[in-house]
Amino acid sequence: MYGGGHYDGGGAGAANSNSLFGGGGFMPSQSTAVPESSGVSKGRSAHALLPLTVKQIMDAAQASDDKSNFAINGVEVSTVRLVGRMLGKVERVTDVAFTLDDGTGKIDVNRWENESSDTKEMADVNNGNYVIVNGGLKGFQGKRHVVAYSVRRVTNFNDITHHFLHCIHVHLELTRPKSQMNANTATPRHANQVQFPNNQAATFSASANAAGNDVSNLVMSVFHHPSVMDLEHGVTMEYVLDRLKLPENVVRDVIQYHVEQGNIYNTIDDFHFKSAMNG
Amino acid sequence: MDTSSPAALVNAEILGMFVGRRVRTVVQVQRSEGGVVVGLSTDGHQLTIKSAMDVPVSHFMEVYGIAESNQAIRAEVCTDFGPSFDAKAFDGLCKLASDKFRHMFL
Repeated sequence: MYGGGHYDGGGAGAANSNSLFGGGGFMPSQSTAVPESSGVSKGRSAHALLPLTVKQIMDAAQASDDKSNFAINGVEVSTVRLVGRMLGKVERVTDVAFTLDDGTGKIDVNRWENESSDTKEMADVNNGNYVIVNGGLKGFQGKRHVVAYSVRRVTNFNDITHHFLHCIHVHLELTRPKSQMNANTATPRHANQVQFPNNQAATFSASANAAGNDVSNLVMSVFHHPSVMDLEHGVTMEYVLDRLKLPENVVRDVIQYHVEQGNIYNTIDDFHFKSAMNG
Repeated sequence: MDTSSPAALVNAEILGMFVGRRVRTVVQVQRSEGGVVVGLSTDGHQLTIKSAMDVPVSHFMEVYGIAESNQAIRAEVCTDFGPSFDAKAFDGLCKLASDKFRHMFL
């Protein structure tokens, strides 16, 4: 859906930043399912990267006295993407500070330079340049600012249009009435209430492509079964085969397809799979 | 943090709603004479940009400035967006940002 190419992952503190940016290419509701060893956590949504305008940040309610908690559209926000013009760049020994003006407002941004790659990245951007900033939203004594994880110059100006459209899209997703929101996830869950007759295999051709969506839906319904969703490590292909009694090659192709689409991901090893849908 | 002087995303049609206020738009440069640029807005109207910087003809130019009328902007900052820019997408964004989703921008 979204070209996650904005972050090229050249940063430090690898393990942590990976989980922060892992969700960059998805809608927040999906990115909450980034594999984590901590299991189900209500705080996951805070790790989703939210594209925002400065105006939205200004309007954000401070969730509590805790300096790092903000809520926008009812979602806890900590990692944000902003796109705007760099102003007032000040280079210091260990960090670079500047003001980002995205046309809706201005916000202070700070970029710590821990590694030479950080310094190099910051040398590439100057006052007046359009930049894409990914970073953590912080609040201190009522003043909000961003601690940037990456600051990159915009080279394709369509990225600016795209960013604002992405802001609107995500805002729409998050403000959509609950009933509609649930419909998305409810549909597959209804499907898995259906018991699968064991003779179903006979009705499917050997090719997953020819069998089309029916096989795909059946396989996904196994992954979306509440008991499977609850399993931290997901299930193996053998489990799916056992449930559906479908030909192995068909199921393998379907799983492979959904892995490529990002609907299913590997957990502890190459043989365990879990749905990316928010449990 | 300061949101006291936002610039409204506009095309020519929406420009008229913001006369006297800060706006930002993108035009395709048609001709440039002594700091005055005549450009085509993303919704296909001619706009006059005063105090504009020199941007090659046919390039897209982003303008931040004050709307002087429904056809003219006094530029504060100009950016050369190059020869290829998706004007249609920008036009759609202007409509959304000035109407239904105005609260996210202004």
